[in-house]
Amino acid sequence: MSASAVVTLLLDPELWRLMLTMAAPLVLAGLGELVMERSGVLNVGVEGMMAVAAAVAFLTMLKTGTLLGAAAAAMAATLGLAVVLGYFAITLRSAQLTVGLCLFVFGTGLASLLYRLVIGVTTATPTVQTLPRLAVPGLAEVPFLGTVVFTQNALVYLALALVPVLAFLLVETSLGLRLRAAGENPRALDTVGVNVRALRYGAVAVGGLLIGLAGAYLPLAVTGAYSDGIVGGRGWIALMVVIFGRWQPGWALVGAILFAYTEALQFKLALVTKAVPPQVLLMLPYVVAIVVLVRLYQGAEPPRALGLPYERESRL
Amino acid sequence: MSGPPTRSTERLRLEAISKRFGATIALAEAGFEVRAGEIHALLGENGAGKTTLMNVLSGLYHADAGRIWLDGRPAEIAEPRDAIRHRIGMVHQHFELIPPLTALENVIIGQEGSTLLLRRERQARGVAALAARFGFEVDLRAPVAALGLADQQKVEILKAIFRGVDILILDEPTTVLTPQEADALLRTLRTMASEGLSVVFISHKIHEVLGHCDRATVMRAGRSVGTVDASATTEQALVEMMIGERVARTAAPAEREVDDTVLLRVDDVTVAGRGGLPAVSHARFSIGRGEVVGLAGVDGNGQRELVEAIVGLRRVTGGRVELGGRNVTTTAVGDRLAQGLAYIPEDRLGDGALPSMSVAENLFLGVHRLARGGGLTYRPAAIRAGAAAPVRDYAIRGTATTPLGMLSGGNIQKVLIARALAVAGHGDTPLVVAHNPTRGLDVRTTEFVRRCLVDVSRRRGGVFLVSSDLDELMQLAHRILVLFRGAIVADLPSTAFDAYEIGRLMTGAAARA
Ligand SMILES: Nc1ncnc2c1ncn2[C@@H]1O[C@H](COP(=O)(O)OP(=O)(O)OP(=O)(O)O)[C@@H](O)[C@H]1O
Ligand SMILES: [Mg+2]
Repeated sequence: MSASAVVTLLLDPELWRLMLTMAAPLVLAGLGELVMERSGVLNVGVEGMMAVAAAVAFLTMLKTGTLLGAAAAAMAATLGLAVVLGYFAITLRSAQLTVGLCLFVFGTGLASLLYRLVIGVTTATPTVQTLPRLAVPGLAEVPFLGTVVFTQNALVYLALALVPVLAFLLVETSLGLRLRAAGENPRALDTVGVNVRALRYGAVAVGGLLIGLAGAYLPLAVTGAYSDGIVGGRGWIALMVVIFGRWQPGWALVGAILFAYTEALQFKLALVTKAVPPQVLLMLPYVVAIVVLVRLYQGAEPPRALGLPYERESRL
Repeated sequence: MSGPPTRSTERLRLEAISKRFGATIALAEAGFEVRAGEIHALLGENGAGKTTLMNVLSGLYHADAGRIWLDGRPAEIAEPRDAIRHRIGMVHQHFELIPPLTALENVIIGQEGSTLLLRRERQARGVAALAARFGFEVDLRAPVAALGLADQQKVEILKAIFRGVDILILDEPTTVLTPQEADALLRTLRTMASEGLSVVFISHKIHEVLGHCDRATVMRAGRSVGTVDASATTEQALVEMMIGERVARTAAPAEREVDDTVLLRVDDVTVAGRGGLPAVSHARFSIGRGEVVGLAGVDGNGQRELVEAIVGLRRVTGGRVELGGRNVTTTAVGDRLAQGLAYIPEDRLGDGALPSMSVAENLFLGVHRLARGGGLTYRPAAIRAGAAAPVRDYAIRGTATTPLGMLSGGNIQKVLIARALAVAGHGDTPLVVAHNPTRGLDVRTTEFVRRCLVDVSRRRGGVFLVSSDLDELMQLAHRILVLFRGAIVADLPSTAFDAYEIGRLMTGAAARA
């Protein structure tokens, strides 16, 4: 390939549009995780939660045909899982890493079980209609940007809009201030009379809803079908997106876009070149993840109380 | 009750409060009574239960037994929220601050003024006015992590008062303040008390109690042993109440034997600070064998940076540091420790301790390199046994296996000091760098630590003593350096020690010719 062909490929508007489409679930799940971690609760079960959400969303869509109903059902399911996580992490003060890993394994299994129970084993994979693209009148005609940003599905717009909303909430509101405090020094927050436990439960619930939406996105907006492994590591990447973003929504978006770009690029490359085995291309997002993370993790400061249960009378 | 509270009306009474943590009995039917408009001192040795009792009052700890009375009525305080509702505010011994948030945010959190938007500008005016009233100059926009301990203390006080209080508990508020700042604080408290505020004031500095408080309650081993009028008691009497015996004053440092062996040489050292300005600029001094060199200065003038540069925790941007004649400017901390350098950090919980590990394990840290006899393993039994002597000598209230975090503030410090002094015993360049080593220690332990430092110099080691306690410096040091805005502005021999003059130099006045 010539240099100019490479440039054309890398800057292809279709590629960039695909990138944003693939970034949306990472943004949604990343923001969900970010809210939880800012409050001090670590949830490494994102992958499992997204799997459950994907299965529930797909099945509900298949049976009822309503997009809103499907998304709502998925979010309700992950809300339930999040509350369980919260109960262990906040009330019982269990080791959060362990609870999260259990959630991952459990969620992955549950998703595939649900699908099997409802659909059974079939030769033809059932499909549902995916979320339509909405062109924003006027803006969609803008060269490059119009194609990339303004001809997306509704959830992409929602994900993008959530980033500044959350950033504003964290920095400019009382609630955001308290949320950050809960993740840094819960005792300090407790001594000024704020209910740390309620705040953390709230954050976990909101996080669960967002992660549910991210999981629902995959069958509803991308594949139109469910298969085991549909989440494909995106839950883990969402965790990395939070670290990459240093617990800031804006930077988390940048991280999500970076990972999504490599993911989209891998689709494109698989189409245009036969020289590289597809397996190597599939590896690409993860290689990027590892390289980027190793570089960035140095000096990244997580919330100081992340993963630590709070107990008023303990001084350890 | 009607009319404004007068001096003799009872505002608060704690009655037979008991509290145990596992096997430790922290409080055994402790109690005392505070009047409206009174500054009431709470005294006692490290681990006597002062903080625990006040944590019960502020709702952080739940007492096993006992009652709290407010204005003659029983009060139920189960949560910090209840205490705030009863207008009780507490300034915690180990600050309850949120380091990445700004000073302003730390002050207003929980009481932001509006449920949704943070009105920083509007709140800032109120907080600034409050700060001005106390004569506190704190940069409200700076993140707390960037503030020195003295400024953090002020933020913590502002935070308590900002909520509106009738009873203000101050748990060792003056340990990190300069004498001038402490005086100013106490004077402001007196003004506020005359307007009806009741203050519970915890301190290990008896002169503050005698000079500024109305009454004092002494605690010993979880019990209250009595309440006395400050005007009717003496330092000796209070100390005897606290520990039941007399304490000998530290002997003055030994006459220094003339010895030109230099242990530490700091040559033209510059350390970068925040915002491009150097935190330490062109510092130059040396410490010889058997010498105690003091460093005086208002907190935040580069003490921490200079000390960390010497220890190797901070990069030096210019100049060199020599230990026993060896250039160690870029040498790792571990190698410096192996040479005999010992460090007592200022922020002991942050820099020095592993709260969830045992006293013995914490004592062993840093010494582990020196104690390893060949193999790859340490024997837990040996680690525990090694802790016996320090636990006894420093009168640490706890056992070798107690997790460090469970000790009282003063006892945690004893552990870290014991460890540092043990390191200095090993290398061939025995030099102790001590940053406010007696801060927060009770009278007896303070004397013990000072004697330990003097002993280091008697055994021909060196001591670099950075202290905000001028009396301590003048008592122990052979020479005092004065640090102002990162520069050493004076190097005074003991014949030139004069608190007033040093105070002047600390605030930037030029040295007298
Ligand atoms: N949260 C806790 N968990 C376990 N033990 C505790 C806890 N809080 C206090 N203690 C124990 O209670 C005793 C009293 O401690 P406290 O902190 O009240 O002492 P203090 O009088 O404030 O001492 P200092 O002057 O050193 O601050 C100590 O033996 C301490 O180890
Ligand atoms: Mg205490």
